[in-house]
Amino acid sequence: MKIVIIGAGEVGFHIAHRLAHENKDVVVIDSNPEALRRISDSVDAQVINGSGSSPMILEEAGIKEAEILLAVTNQDETNLIACLVADILSPVTKKLARIRNAAFDQYHEIFREHPPHIDTVINPEIEVVKTIERLLSVPGAVDVIDFADGRMKFIGIRLEKNDRLSGIQLSEIPVKIGRQRALIAAVIREEELIIPRGKDRLQAGDLVYFISEADRLSQTLSAFDKTVKPPKRVLIVGGGRIGLRLASLLENKSIYTKIVEKSPARCALIAERMNKTVVLCGDGSDQSLMQEENIQEMDAVITLTNDEETNILVSLLAKRIGVPQSITKINKFSYFPLMSAIGIEQVVSPRLSAINTILQHIRRGKVLSAISLKGEQAEVLEVIALATSDIVGKPLKNVGFPKGALLIGIIRDGQAIIPSGDSIVNPDDRIIIFATRQAVVKIEKILTVKLEFF
Amino acid sequence: MRWRFIFNIAGVLIFFLGLTMTFSLLCGLYYKDASVAPFLQSMAICMGAGLLLCLLFREDRSKHISQREGMAIVAFGWIAIGLFGALPFYLGGVFNTFTDALFESISGFTTTGASVLVDIESVPKGFLFWRSFIQWLGGMGIIVLSIAILPFLGVGGMQLYKAEVPSPVPDKLKPRIRDTAKILWKVYALISVAQVAFLSIGGMELFDALCHTFTTMPTGGFSTRNASIAHFNSPYFDAVIIFFMVVASINFSLHFQLLKGNTLAFWRDSECRFFLGAVLVLTLLVGFNVYGHTYQKIGEALRFSAFQVVSIVSTTGYATADYEKWPAMSQVILLLCMFLGASAGSTGGGMKCIRVMLCFKYCYKELFSLVHPHAVSHVKIGGRVVHEDVMRSILGFLALYIGLFAVCTVLLAGMNVDLITALSAVASAIGNVGPGFGLVGPVENYAMIPYGGKWILIWCMLLGRLEIYTVIIFLVPEFWRR
Repeated sequence: MKIVIIGAGEVGFHIAHRLAHENKDVVVIDSNPEALRRISDSVDAQVINGSGSSPMILEEAGIKEAEILLAVTNQDETNLIACLVADILSPVTKKLARIRNAAFDQYHEIFREHPPHIDTVINPEIEVVKTIERLLSVPGAVDVIDFADGRMKFIGIRLEKNDRLSGIQLSEIPVKIGRQRALIAAVIREEELIIPRGKDRLQAGDLVYFISEADRLSQTLSAFDKTVKPPKRVLIVGGGRIGLRLASLLENKSIYTKIVEKSPARCALIAERMNKTVVLCGDGSDQSLMQEENIQEMDAVITLTNDEETNILVSLLAKRIGVPQSITKINKFSYFPLMSAIGIEQVVSPRLSAINTILQHIRRGKVLSAISLKGEQAEVLEVIALATSDIVGKPLKNVGFPKGALLIGIIRDGQAIIPSGDSIVNPDDRIIIFATRQAVVKIEKILTVKLEFF
Repeated sequence: MRWRFIFNIAGVLIFFLGLTMTFSLLCGLYYKDASVAPFLQSMAICMGAGLLLCLLFREDRSKHISQREGMAIVAFGWIAIGLFGALPFYLGGVFNTFTDALFESISGFTTTGASVLVDIESVPKGFLFWRSFIQWLGGMGIIVLSIAILPFLGVGGMQLYKAEVPSPVPDKLKPRIRDTAKILWKVYALISVAQVAFLSIGGMELFDALCHTFTTMPTGGFSTRNASIAHFNSPYFDAVIIFFMVVASINFSLHFQLLKGNTLAFWRDSECRFFLGAVLVLTLLVGFNVYGHTYQKIGEALRFSAFQVVSIVSTTGYATADYEKWPAMSQVILLLCMFLGASAGSTGGGMKCIRVMLCFKYCYKELFSLVHPHAVSHVKIGGRVVHEDVMRSILGFLALYIGLFAVCTVLLAGMNVDLITALSAVASAIGNVGPGFGLVGPVENYAMIPYGGKWILIWCMLLGRLEIYTVIIFLVPEFWRR
């Protein structure tokens, strides 16, 4: 299976890395030799130096044998033209493009039907706004992933010192919190992914991943001493494209929104587009402005400026003043591991969102979606159970699951079920499986589903 | 640097080497000669040591391999394989000292073909087979073979590949390194089969045909006969071997393209044109030089000159004639051929045509900018601009090549080896050619070189095969600094 990626930036690099790891034939095209060197040094992929929109380069990359073309340069025009040229050279190749300009928002469908026949247009800004929306819906969660169209939620929460569950053995949890069961899939402790067993203890500082039905979320969260309280007042720092998108989304949900932006011209534009949102012209890192605008009364502060350091500082400031939730936009991948060390938990990145969306879109067939956790150490897969597979038709405790894999959810007739040892998977159920990277291959065998793309 | 990881991989390679001894064992069993017991012992030692290393140094192999680790793995891997590959020779009593056994083994794996065996024909056939077979293994590269066969090397394979097959302009035939390695070995094996067929058709015994193929395709040069190819004294064999030596010294990615149906591949590649042109011109020069001097017939003159020029420039090192009896000009041309070498991406050694070519182009560019101080000009190859840093690394390589040649020659001459012998032995060892001039001429061998000198040459052969950087880097203190 061959995949051509145009653009060796952060997005291209990470996708190439992931796909090459899964033994796909990856060809990366970029006009910057430096960026290519980074790829050829650490990824088992072929690199071609040149413009991705040039027909000659695309032919050289073997577009005709390629099943997927990913146009993910940071220029919309290059991506569009690359898809157009690829459409002429090889109409059967499936095309995905990263297009950021909001002017194209309405054209995503049209691009699919008409040339350049782009199967999926990915706008990282839309994706990041979606991520922020999910994070806002569960305050205190580090990671929120939706399955089965939002009916199941896979949530990561950082355990605090005084939480009821810290220091508790996994097997004691049902006793401790009563009836509801939250299935804990994984724990990340000091950057290390652990699959906890019954006698393992949770510790303060752990990042705990669990699954919950969407409608029982508030009960589940109460076990973690967290409450679901949709925010009512939100402050956005940075009125760029993401800020503007988010503000209009929040406004539609009738959430009281303030937005701080440095540039007066940009402020004027935002004020023109917004009806109820308060547009403030000033510097987000200016403490007196923040206090003047009652930052401490906010339910959430979201920092979206183009300057990472400003974002980090404003979030820290908000946290110190006592804002319950702050979401920080970070672009540099190298900063991610440092964030929890300085106390910033909720981090979003347009690039990361784009990567996850792209990977989700190209994993198809019986695999409905796949999401990777922290540094790609594990994946959560949503798949359809085939009648031929080993897990169907017998109690789960009798199924020989490989080490490092866990069945964490069953969706039957639109009903979300969290399984126990006695649950039985029926054919055509949608099941959610958590698996470490090593276990993914074995899971493939058990499901008799090739985790192929398409 | 994860030393555990490096030892682990070395263990895998040694185990693997033990497995490949099976072929020689079978050969020994077939001829019922004295090589059976030494091979059984060597296999046991290799597989035992390999397993032990693997088990002692278990390590997660899926992690990324850094460039430094890649170089260390390849260099240590080659040294380990050279050492263990010498076991059959030593245990079988082919040589009295381990130094000689190691010299023969390293000369084999690096496809040099310099021998310390005095009477080749008296050695049991199992050892002769091993001697040829290790050249075949070393030709396309042990690491490349491992990448093709062992699945776990896939992730970090590129770093290893770059350390074993350094090429100024790297080309990956397939997106995945493992597929690239597989293709290279398949093409290599396919051409080898063709050569065995051609030699057999001409009436060569299967054993000789196999052994000579195993030493032609990697441009190695070990022969099963004391007199090398001159033993057969057949224009047909000369022609077949000349053809396959030329084939082996052309970039294997071009062979792959030809097999895929791109018939113009050779012509479009400027390095290939350069190499073929050089072979033709030098053959004619040497041919006319020896005509009337050593040979009275023009056909004979061209036959021997073509064989010798191709044999040396492809860095194979077979002999059909004692070129030391040739006129001085021919000898000098042959000496210079040792430096020129074959194409990048081939199994041949030397400086490689592309480097020499680019170096000349660079010199021309310098002259050009003296005439036109404001001109913007690039060094180009095949219509593509060669980047400044590639050019720098090539010039660095050539400087190191000449520098090491000079240092080693001085050291060798310091051991009471005469000027011509010292000069040509080092040039021949670094270029992975085989025979030189003087005491190490085409009808002599390296047995006369003192032990210290043999160690210097062992080192030179490794330097040449791994194209200097991978081996020399261990002498740089910065490499060891934490």
